[in-house]
Amino acid sequence: MIRAGKRHGPYRPRAEETLDAGKLELGEDFQDAECLLISEVKVLLEAQYESKKEEKNLTDVYTKTLEYVQKFSRYTNRDTIKEVRALLKPTNLEPFECAQLGNLCCSEYEEIKSLVPSIGNKISDDDLDSLLKQMDSLKKYQG
Amino acid sequence: MFFHKKLSHTITLSPEFLGPRMREYVTKKLYMDIEGTCTGRYGYIIAVVAILEIQMGKVIPGHGSAEFEVKYSAILYMPFRNEVVDAVVGMVNTLGVTAHAGPLSIFITRSLIPTDMKFDPHSNPPSYHSEDQKIEKGTMVRVKITGTRIDATEIFATGTIKEDYLSVIE
Repeated sequence: MIRAGKRHGPYRPRAEETLDAGKLELGEDFQDAECLLISEVKVLLEAQYESKKEEKNLTDVYTKTLEYVQKFSRYTNRDTIKEVRALLKPTNLEPFECAQLGNLCCSEYEEIKSLVPSIGNKISDDDLDSLLKQMDSLKKYQG
Repeated sequence: MFFHKKLSHTITLSPEFLGPRMREYVTKKLYMDIEGTCTGRYGYIIAVVAILEIQMGKVIPGHGSAEFEVKYSAILYMPFRNEVVDAVVGMVNTLGVTAHAGPLSIFITRSLIPTDMKFDPHSNPPSYHSEDQKIEKGTMVRVKITGTRIDATEIFATGTIKEDYLSVIE
């Protein structure tokens, strides 16, 4: 890391300049962390909602996030989420890429490759295509 | 991206709480202290999922309060450059569009909105629209984050929708 002498002005973390999700550089704190699908966040947050409401412990961040995940959650029940996870597990994709696949729900492999460029050649186009198709059919036929 | 991560935090309890329901106080204080906060290192801490361990407390010499180190796991939200996220449009004006992805605000400047979408101040609500697409309050958009700025209590991001496969989603 280059440090050019004395720093002027208020301290700003440098991280934002160097991290790049396109190249899968997430920084040491998040490189190996477990990524959550939006649907999983929804399940976790909804489970806490009642008790939090009773204790009047709802923060602004919590309610905003809950609204967001309810809007964008692709899989409605826990079994579907489990099956999606089972589909993604045998691939050699990183956790971040798996979560992006599950969250964005693209229909074509070209689309997901353009949105998540780090996938690159880690998986063949045919495999990726069948993976997306299977995820799509899970989404269609969920209860 | 949402993450699930193990973290630790030190809780200080004043002597009045050092009694039979001490663990409960420690847990409550942890929820109060960290849920909904935002740091440059971990992004937004949205909710605590589980308390993993509350270590033996230490009384601070000459003070009477006790410190407890608590290990817990939490849901975090951290945006990254070049990450693609879905967001809901909030404000629309001549400068551009502000979209929200959970706690995060993403500003999309006018120059990073496809050139065929024109701003129409006379529509109600104000919108950007082309012949077949329309961006107004409440529209869902797929945005690529181009940069983030971390403040003490908030993270701001800038984004673009002027690329392949981005823009309005159904």
